[in-house]
Amino acid sequence: MKAFILEDIEHLRDHLASQRQVFTPQYAEDSTELDWLPLTDKTASVTAERPVLPTYPAKQFFFPDREILFQFDGSAFKETLPEVEPQVLFGVRSCDLCAIAYQDQFFEQDPYYQARRKATLLVGIDCNQPCEGGFCPSVNAGPFIRDGLADLACHQREDKSWLILAHTSEGEALIERLNLQAADPNLIAQRNEQETQVAAEFPSAEHIETGIQRINQAQVPAETWQNMGLQCLACSGCTNLCPTCSCFTSYDRPVAEGIERERCWDSCLYDAFQREASSHNPSADAGQRVERFWFHKFSDEYVKSFGRYGCTGCGRCEKTCPGVIGVHSVMKRISAAL
Amino acid sequence: MDATSHNISKITHSICPFCGVGCGIGLRVEQGKITGVEPLANHPVSQGSLCAKGWSTAYAVDPIDRIKTPLIKENGEFRPATWDEAYRVISEAFSTAISEKGPDAIGIIACARATNEDCYAAQKFARAALRTNNVDHCARICHSPSVAGLRQTLGSGAMTNSIDDIEKADLIVIFGCDPTENHTVLGGRIIRAKLAGAKLLVVDPRLTRLARMADLHLQLRLGTNIALINGLLHIIFTNGWEAKEFLNSRCENEKVLRAKVAEYPPEKVAEITGIPEEKLVAAARMYTEADRAMLSYGMGITQYTTGTNNVISISNLALVAGQIGREGTGINPLRGQNNVQGACDMGALPNVFPGYQEVKEAANRDKFAATWQQSLPEHKGLTSLGMTKGALAGDVRCMMIMGEDPVVTDPDQNHVRRALEALDLLVVVELVMTETASMADIILPAAAFSEKAGTFTNCERRVQLIQPAIPSLGKAKPDWKILGELAEHLGYSGMDWENEEAIFNEIASLSPIYQGMSYPKLAANYGLQWPCNDQAPDGTALLHSKEFSRGKGKLIPVNHADPAEMPNEEYPLFFTTTRLHFHYGCGSMTRKSPLLERETPNGVLFINAEDAEALAIKPQTRVRVISRRGELETRAIVTDEVPPGTVAMPYHFKEAPSNRLTNNAQDPVTKMPELKACAVRVINLEDKTK
Amino acid sequence: MNGFMTPQAIHIAEIYDDGEASRHFTFEPADGVKHSAKPGQFFTLALPGYGEAAFTYLSLPDAEGRFKALIRQAGSLTSALFKCDVGDLVGFRGPFGNSWPINQLLGKRVLIIAGGIGLPPLATIADQLAADKSTPIALIYGSRSPADQVLKYERSAWHMYMPILETFDYPSNQEQLSGTPLDHVAEVEAKLGGKPEVILTCGPEVMMNAVAHHFVENGLSPESIWLALERRMHCGIGECGHCYLGSSYVCTDGPVYNWQQLTQLHAQTTT
Repeated sequence: MKAFILEDIEHLRDHLASQRQVFTPQYAEDSTELDWLPLTDKTASVTAERPVLPTYPAKQFFFPDREILFQFDGSAFKETLPEVEPQVLFGVRSCDLCAIAYQDQFFEQDPYYQARRKATLLVGIDCNQPCEGGFCPSVNAGPFIRDGLADLACHQREDKSWLILAHTSEGEALIERLNLQAADPNLIAQRNEQETQVAAEFPSAEHIETGIQRINQAQVPAETWQNMGLQCLACSGCTNLCPTCSCFTSYDRPVAEGIERERCWDSCLYDAFQREASSHNPSADAGQRVERFWFHKFSDEYVKSFGRYGCTGCGRCEKTCPGVIGVHSVMKRISAAL
Repeated sequence: MDATSHNISKITHSICPFCGVGCGIGLRVEQGKITGVEPLANHPVSQGSLCAKGWSTAYAVDPIDRIKTPLIKENGEFRPATWDEAYRVISEAFSTAISEKGPDAIGIIACARATNEDCYAAQKFARAALRTNNVDHCARICHSPSVAGLRQTLGSGAMTNSIDDIEKADLIVIFGCDPTENHTVLGGRIIRAKLAGAKLLVVDPRLTRLARMADLHLQLRLGTNIALINGLLHIIFTNGWEAKEFLNSRCENEKVLRAKVAEYPPEKVAEITGIPEEKLVAAARMYTEADRAMLSYGMGITQYTTGTNNVISISNLALVAGQIGREGTGINPLRGQNNVQGACDMGALPNVFPGYQEVKEAANRDKFAATWQQSLPEHKGLTSLGMTKGALAGDVRCMMIMGEDPVVTDPDQNHVRRALEALDLLVVVELVMTETASMADIILPAAAFSEKAGTFTNCERRVQLIQPAIPSLGKAKPDWKILGELAEHLGYSGMDWENEEAIFNEIASLSPIYQGMSYPKLAANYGLQWPCNDQAPDGTALLHSKEFSRGKGKLIPVNHADPAEMPNEEYPLFFTTTRLHFHYGCGSMTRKSPLLERETPNGVLFINAEDAEALAIKPQTRVRVISRRGELETRAIVTDEVPPGTVAMPYHFKEAPSNRLTNNAQDPVTKMPELKACAVRVINLEDKTK
Repeated sequence: MNGFMTPQAIHIAEIYDDGEASRHFTFEPADGVKHSAKPGQFFTLALPGYGEAAFTYLSLPDAEGRFKALIRQAGSLTSALFKCDVGDLVGFRGPFGNSWPINQLLGKRVLIIAGGIGLPPLATIADQLAADKSTPIALIYGSRSPADQVLKYERSAWHMYMPILETFDYPSNQEQLSGTPLDHVAEVEAKLGGKPEVILTCGPEVMMNAVAHHFVENGLSPESIWLALERRMHCGIGECGHCYLGSSYVCTDGPVYNWQQLTQLHAQTTT
């Protein structure tokens, strides 16, 4: 890993734009919602205020909500892999970077995901303050970017200058022509200290820790899950906005050339998610579906394969759930349930 | 879709096109197509959420299956036509019908999911271009009793409070509605309030989700709302729990009401409703003791032959308890469609101009006639049900139906089909080939909500502005444009607006409740709640805080009456209709989503275990359901959601059209059909012993 | 050859009816590309316009790459398949999943218990074990009624290699055995030469669970009881998520599990 100093992060951003298409979280015109959009000359500066997460996580770039898999013209099936222009995601937060790393493993064999992923470089930004509702320290997903999860990790120091860490050779190549000054090694140690301080600023996450324990010991009474199951309205908001959710379904659509098979995001909270053609449904009870979702996010079983929990502490589910069973609500309930 | 990198180029903020909650929604545009949606965290109503329907919006307006060009039916098949040809055929047919039978030979059905601008244009077209008051829309079969009932008692038929009041109430009363299914994001806010300590009282014959969560569930027999409320009022007056000061200062007719409810003692009410006396007392106490009780109601109140009286009854209850005119209280009809409030506000109704200004008042006619430069018809027009009747009688010769599928959503399907077949000309303005569209002589392609600008008014009277995310598909046009061009062909040029904003400004100039609104003002806030005028330049969250729209709140005595069709030996089960979270109306939009379509249970007759057992019915058993009007086949779902003696079906599925069974017996005041109650018998088609 | 999610084109080579609303299909590759599969594995068929669904191999691919499935008409895809003729082209992806643990079966007394449409997933392992002379094997096949039975030809071939008991919920005459397979285990034990050492079972989940409980209660190790599970499937490769069973995906870790594994998976959650 190489470390550099940079005064003005927009300088880096503009430099990247000269090499690749850049996407960055921004407020569109007249909007108070932060979204991943193409960089334009109207895009505002990167601010040092309290971090806000864009509405959608970064998974949309590699695993889009709708994607054509193949076409059938009447006699042959033809795979339709995406063709992707080289791009950069600029300003990814640590939680979303952990989620990308998780999905990189989950979709390792998937050529559609990989085609998009291989065309993309990641430039992350450390969170110097807790965001609202996030709890990344409790799930080892932040607030600062973990080594190797971004091509470039950007850290704003107290004097407003930026420490740029190039974790990959592609990251190094991206900034080569900027001829940045190398950073003093003690700046890296300072950054590590600062992370401990920022992590301590997060509100208490005891309910998260207790909840994780109780899930892993299968200690939460079934009735608690069923009461929460009653509150699940199956809107699919949580699974759509969760950075690590990856379930999908597929269907055929008639097109001029014949038939195309498309896949789209699915949600395990739907009653019909596991329902078979015979009507048999192994997860017919909403409480089962709710329990299973949280099991998938917090069970040690998945740490074996992915090296981390499915949850990266971004808090999007809590913000979108209309039924009041997002992560904080659920973990508080199950921590308290006798 | 192109196989390139996922490149969302813009996100257009809009308002969800499904229910009356009016959630903010972001339309994600990739290469000129809407590929997805996102919730808006800062929207005051939806606060970062969407329901399953909202999340499916991209499929709902997907180009696949969309009608992209005018279609004319020739020899039973549709062929493409130009707009000019279509307009010519229509105006000829309209002119012929008018010359033979007068302007009332035409009926116009506006779309309660289209914009205010579209609906305003529809009623202006009827009144100024055709010179008939035969204009109506689906509020007829939804909340027309709310308009009629509350206008009598309060002077205004709209939700008295705002959605925000949910968080301010310490008691939430859910009376004949199922918000977590039909107004899901609003239902979520009710769940949140309940978890935060509010009490929940649910009145519903079915065990809905909120009924399961409720502190008290009154599971009344179908069609006994008035008996129940009269019974509660009896208990309230007997115990002196009424809001005495409020009644004295702000209401009239208390004595007459007292005399009426004296006829409804608890034992009698318990017998009629099936609710034990203790529960009646508990409910009466809960509602009057609560500091702030917010009451919401829906189709379980309106869709009866006594619909208007049911609404009046609700009003009586709220007035007597003084639970109105303050934050966290009120009478809150949950409007179904995303713009049914707007369609009513725009006067797409046979008896009122925009702003609820009655057609029968000469002063109103003069005002509109002056702006519209046209003399206007005096007598009130036909309702939608009146139009179908008129079609069968040969009085109504042509109809133009915009964005509605009465073949699936109106009562007594066979009757509706015969009526439409009897017309000389049926014009349907639609997005896709619905059942009604397939019966048309001419289909005109409509622009979807994502392809035009305009305003929607949600259930809390909030007028919100939408902008197009993409251009209109193919040759499709917004309703207002179609109507303006057709008017031109008929010789009326008062509808040649430049754009939607011009229409809105005309609306604001004629409708006092919208008078202070403009597109820039709407864009600057997240919309404005009417009335918005000089007295309330920032809109009005709370109605009736100092006095009611009519002055004093009027208490009106009403009587219990059984539904027109009660179960008997031949048709022993009560039949009622419901909605599902996952589908909207006739399903023309929601059934395009593979996830929502998959969610449809394999079978749509909900039957209680007791009734099922008596008929040897198991889950998924194939059944036939028969009423006096028709029959259908479907599969059974055995559930405790319906009580013994009552079966239910959602109305979204044209393959199992519940409206083939429903009764069109009507509420005399509003012509609202009794969609919520009729009698059926169920046959087990797999019963090998029969 | 199929791509990651893209089917290989195959032809329907033969069709015949077998049982109520069930049909035998024989498939062969349209591009000459053959594949091999193991007993217990499954594949998916794509019918353009109707999506894709999972089916078990009734017979494994032969030297020409032909393989068979018994398919019951249940939904829109199978209804469309039933309208197909010999020579029609459909899509194939596979083989997927794990297989019956042959090494743990050879030389042991194996009892196969099949319920209803659960017989086909057991056919290939029955074939393989029947061919092995050192493995005593018996089959109990339970059906609702004689009209509901499937695999007539396969069963008549198996009769030569193993005792077969057929039971019916609704027998059509006095000679037929009435009841469920579990009602007749004792009779079969005699024919097997002793208590079974391994159970292979497939059928409705309720039935399989009852079978497992019965033998565990009678002292058999849960690791010796093997079940073939069914789940809604889309991808067959552990990605789409539909077939989850606790932390396992039935399409990759299964569809064959032993009762010990299933008990552990079910214990992961409380509902």
